[in-house]
Amino acid sequence: MRIALYEDLKAYKQLYELLADGLYRFSYSMVRSAEVAEEIVSDVFIKLWQMRARLSEVDNLRVYLYTIARNCSLNYLERNADSRVIGLENLDSGTFVEGTSPADLCISADLANQMRRIVQQLPPQCRLIFQLVREEGLRYKEVAAVLDVSPYTVRNQLAIAMQKIGETPLLKGMLLKDMQQNLAEK
Amino acid sequence: MHPREDQFWLLVSLRLSGEATPEESAILDRLLEERPEMAARLDAVGDWWSHAAPRNPGLKKGALQRHLQRLNERENLPPRRRGGRRLFLFVAGIAASLAGFSFFVYQWTPKHSNATPAVAHNSISTKSGSKSKIQLPDGSQVWLNSDSRLIYCETFTGDAREVQLCGEAYFDVAKDPGHPFVIHTNTIDVRVLGTTLNVRSYSNEKNTEAVLIHGSVEVTLHSDPQNKIILRPNDKLVVPNANVAADGKAAKPDMDSGRALSLGRVHFNRRDSVAVEVLWVKNKLAFDKETLEAVALKMERWFNVKVDITDDALKQMEFSGVFEEEALPQVMEALRLTGNFHYTIHRRVVTIRP
Repeated sequence: MRIALYEDLKAYKQLYELLADGLYRFSYSMVRSAEVAEEIVSDVFIKLWQMRARLSEVDNLRVYLYTIARNCSLNYLERNADSRVIGLENLDSGTFVEGTSPADLCISADLANQMRRIVQQLPPQCRLIFQLVREEGLRYKEVAAVLDVSPYTVRNQLAIAMQKIGETPLLKGMLLKDMQQNLAEK
Repeated sequence: MHPREDQFWLLVSLRLSGEATPEESAILDRLLEERPEMAARLDAVGDWWSHAAPRNPGLKKGALQRHLQRLNERENLPPRRRGGRRLFLFVAGIAASLAGFSFFVYQWTPKHSNATPAVAHNSISTKSGSKSKIQLPDGSQVWLNSDSRLIYCETFTGDAREVQLCGEAYFDVAKDPGHPFVIHTNTIDVRVLGTTLNVRSYSNEKNTEAVLIHGSVEVTLHSDPQNKIILRPNDKLVVPNANVAADGKAAKPDMDSGRALSLGRVHFNRRDSVAVEVLWVKNKLAFDKETLEAVALKMERWFNVKVDITDDALKQMEFSGVFEEEALPQVMEALRLTGNFHYTIHRRVVTIRP
């Protein structure tokens, strides 16, 4: 992956269109403010523009941008919270946004919602890792680089998240019912 | 907590996130064989993972404009100039993986250089299983999908820049208002000024499709040349191919297939915010509510295999999915879990049975 941006605004804009939303969601998870998150994303892209001549030196653009976003977000939190040390562990779970289920979802809406709730209630670092992998499509190594943790942590946290989601009683109950129904039909 | 459970969920998370090694995948498969009730759980969670996992809202509208304004205040942006210094430009995209993948590659060669154009042929073809990318004499970029052919002149002379396409290609047409760019296929002609679009016209498929990403194009149907169709961004036009009727038999020449077309919107892939129809450019195999028959055809070209489906009902089953870097066995496995069929892969032939 090599990137060398040059005086082509078109490519720059396309990069924004590709990556800004993901960076915004990531930043929003931390700073909890739409305006601040948007400004941070803008800062990231300003940095990107300023660095464009040297981008061939960047190994992985996504990791680079997400890391800048994380640092900006942490800086913001430090400046605007009390003097507690802000680590990722201390971020609150935040508000929950109920998404719409596509019509072709095989599991019930109830179950989907419960799974979503579980994600929202995950411990902060676990949830952040889950979101970066699932929603932004980052690889484990990239998440590890951005969050400054080991790839094993990423791997284990995601496994924990999946287990919580998969072991929800509603799913167990639903599967049990399905099995019973199948047996009854035979 | 039963140790087996922990291991199960670890393997599931690795598989769903695409990080499982072949060994880990094999262990999971073995586990599923031993405990089939876990397969249902995997299905449910996998289904949720692909479709319904939560997502906070993204940036509000106009964010790019606001950002550019801010950027302009900090750095004096160069004014938009046509031509000007053109340099080698790579853009790494979301599809970037450990192996390294660039998804948009722009390459300009300065007009005054001695470099000869990358391809000095009049036609370029791809076989099943391979894709290609070329630059046309006017600087337009074309990505050619498998089993496709593009014919063009070495130098564009005359009023229009004309190419002939059989198969699928993604075009990034260089702006030149004085010389419209015309893409000819067997069923439609597409006329553009400067834009990005995807055209799909395989002779062994039912329909020809044109998807517009940016800009505007004018489509002329061979069967009805008087009424032209203007496409706006994110429009998708589907036109039945005249030589193949819906049931696969050759159609009579007077069949009014030209009227039975549809104009709709493209579907966006959630993760990439890119139209499903052009994911192949990013080297992702994608299908969006397509029958197994159609999926099979796509896979034949993508993997260079032959796919046989023994059951007619199975052929009509619909699938959606996006695959990146997965090999044929993994794709078949994913389909099997959803479609509940059986399959075998022997040499380069895939057989699917109920």
